Amino acid sequence: MLSRVADALYWMGRYLERAENITRLLLVTEDFSSETQGLAEQGAQSAWKDLLAIFPSAQVAPPASAFAPMSQAYLVGFFLDVANKYSVIYSLRRARENARSVREALTVEMFLALNETFRALEAQARRGLSDPPSLRDALGTTHKGLFTIGGAIEQTFTRDEGWFFLKLGESLERIYRTALVLRAKLPGLAAAEPRADVALYYTQWRTLLRALGSLENYRRSYGARLEPELVVPFLLLDPHTPRSLRYGMEAMKGYLGRIGGGDETTTVLRLIGRLHAELCYRDEPLGAGAADAVFLDRVVDTMAQTHEALGAQYFAT
Amino acid sequence: MLSLGAVKWVPETRAYDEAFDRTAAPRPHYRSLVSTLESFTLTEIDRRERLQKISLVDQGITFTVYGEKDGIERIFPFDFVPRIIPAREWERIEAGLVQRVTALNLFIADVYGDQKCLKDKVIPAELVLSRREYKRELLHLAPPRQIYTHVVGTDLIRNDQGEYLILEDNCRCPSGVSYVLENRNLLHRVFPEFFTRYPVRPIRDYPRQLLDTLLWASRASENPVAVVLTPGIHNSAYFEHSFLAREMGVFLVEGRDLIVEDSHVYMRTTGGRQRVDVIYRRVDEDFLDPLTFRRDSLLGVPGLINVYREGNVAIANAPGAGVADDKAVYAYMPAIIKYYLDQAPLLGQVPTYVGLRKDDFAFMRDHLSTLVVKTTGDSGGYNMLMGPFASRKEIDAYATQLKKAPGNYIAQPLIELSSHPTWVDGKFEPRRIDLRPFILYGESIRVLPGGLTRVALRPGSYVVNSSQGGGSKDTWVLAPRGS
Repeated sequence: MLSRVADALYWMGRYLERAENITRLLLVTEDFSSETQGLAEQGAQSAWKDLLAIFPSAQVAPPASAFAPMSQAYLVGFFLDVANKYSVIYSLRRARENARSVREALTVEMFLALNETFRALEAQARRGLSDPPSLRDALGTTHKGLFTIGGAIEQTFTRDEGWFFLKLGESLERIYRTALVLRAKLPGLAAAEPRADVALYYTQWRTLLRALGSLENYRRSYGARLEPELVVPFLLLDPHTPRSLRYGMEAMKGYLGRIGGGDETTTVLRLIGRLHAELCYRDEPLGAGAADAVFLDRVVDTMAQTHEALGAQYFAT
Repeated sequence: MLSLGAVKWVPETRAYDEAFDRTAAPRPHYRSLVSTLESFTLTEIDRRERLQKISLVDQGITFTVYGEKDGIERIFPFDFVPRIIPAREWERIEAGLVQRVTALNLFIADVYGDQKCLKDKVIPAELVLSRREYKRELLHLAPPRQIYTHVVGTDLIRNDQGEYLILEDNCRCPSGVSYVLENRNLLHRVFPEFFTRYPVRPIRDYPRQLLDTLLWASRASENPVAVVLTPGIHNSAYFEHSFLAREMGVFLVEGRDLIVEDSHVYMRTTGGRQRVDVIYRRVDEDFLDPLTFRRDSLLGVPGLINVYREGNVAIANAPGAGVADDKAVYAYMPAIIKYYLDQAPLLGQVPTYVGLRKDDFAFMRDHLSTLVVKTTGDSGGYNMLMGPFASRKEIDAYATQLKKAPGNYIAQPLIELSSHPTWVDGKFEPRRIDLRPFILYGESIRVLPGGLTRVALRPGSYVVNSSQGGGSKDTWVLAPRGS
């Protein structure tokens, strides 16, 4: 297929995934901070600040006044601020621009779903929402819209090369962001003492699972037990939950194998294959220790290299 | 106003009515349609019309209106009363179009070749050679198989006698054929009853014929690859570009998808570079290659014309073909047909005064208030004076312009375009129409039966352009009886 079209679909996949990630993280962080701010204000505040580690180039304007809750600046900045390149509205706008430029390569249903969700979000932004309850409400609506788009893609888009490039973008963005979430959250969690405040301790682990959209899937495997030795391997290695690193890497390998010329071993395949092997077949299984940080950093770097290699191989031909 | 059954018909009084004769009785080929329509209640017609509108919006059959933010997409209004052309009438039109396109192609080949027609003074040399559309760079450069005009859209009108006249030739990138095909689909869905009593000639085969025409133009021996080249999503005809690419099963490319290397054109694909043999260009020729034509063009492909010169890519329509679209050249078409084919034109055309000719200029100057005056370089109704409807002030201002550069103007008498019943606010009213048939020049010359009938939806208006309140109709050519 045309490189330009493949490139636009890849970015459309990335931006849609990014919009969903930001939306979910905002909803989960808002829950966590309103649940814990009376108990442990510092923990609530650092949960917001973690967003800047998960989206390293994001820019959030300072709160409107000294009395405004910290959550408001982050909610507005990451949801509706078009100047922030890691806001939901920015990501969705870019997804739509990419879709518009290759509309003939999409289905009508996909474009309509994307268009409607974006228009609704734009209307929210124009209303200049600022209080957390209505921001929450709007986030919920956008989240649903994003799932509608995903459903339209799943139900109507033909499984040709275009689909694989879109899914590659989605997977790459997902693995990258999952690694950054774990990288930002695990050190704090590992250092926390369970006996200090048991309820708060488990709230943090539960929040981590929710932040990665995996709480219910985790419960299905392990029930309500929330043990760090189970949670971390689950998020890294579970073969079924769609946001585990393993699932993402296997999906990427599959998509790459089916894109034209799948017999040859490309740079991208080598990068993903090596990372996948290290994740699954290392001698010392990954846990919640310092080794994880090193590995997670490697995941982040490898995804950046994979992005470059995809561009060189398929888009800049 | 006559009232027959539930629906009301308003016949035309000033011009030729396509459906009714002077006694307000339906012409023979419209009788069945009129009686079918009269069997509907107004409510039923309303319901069907709503259905049809929803269908248009849902399918995104749109064109882009320039100058509006974010390229607003509009639907092209569709009127469900089909225009019917009897077999005999069409035979004459078809023969006339084949004759005209043959002559046009010979003319273009000649002005870029030996220029015999200029030497023999069939048409003043300065008139041809001074045109912006005349590409000096392409002199002595013959396209594959000597075909310049692969796809032509010729505009026809009918005068108050019902006589078909050629109004304009479009030899560059005529658009509208996607609406022709979509209009037929739409009418089939919304008013299937219409078709039961008419042998309507099918048109669905057009994309395949177009692809055949394009591939025929290629010199590549095996499996030539054709693409559609579009300026991009902001172009008003983008819907059509993507429609034709999809229907032909070829890539829709933009200039930046193509690259010239080793005297060949390639497109950038995920599997590496792939050679392109035929380009159906829907980009204006001035923008095709910034190295040859407009240097500021971002839509084109640097080096494309050199590859074309080497014969390694075919371009449809061939660059330079636009010289035949010129409104002053049009005035000489009867002479051009006679010169190359030694035949009289089978289709008439509108009498035209050319500003370059002294006598014509004098006549134009003295009769501005009765003439339609056009500049030779513009198209789409821009910079036009409609004398009979213009104010004194407008005419005086135009006269000043005209005196400065008479050679840039031509003038024609106002033709009363024929009218066709059109559904407006609960009744059938007459509205002016024209016709753009599409002619393909490949192994042979083929005319798509019918074409795009555009209709001026404003009462009394002569302007059928989609950007100025025009709509369109399905156009039926009937098969000869017994076939």
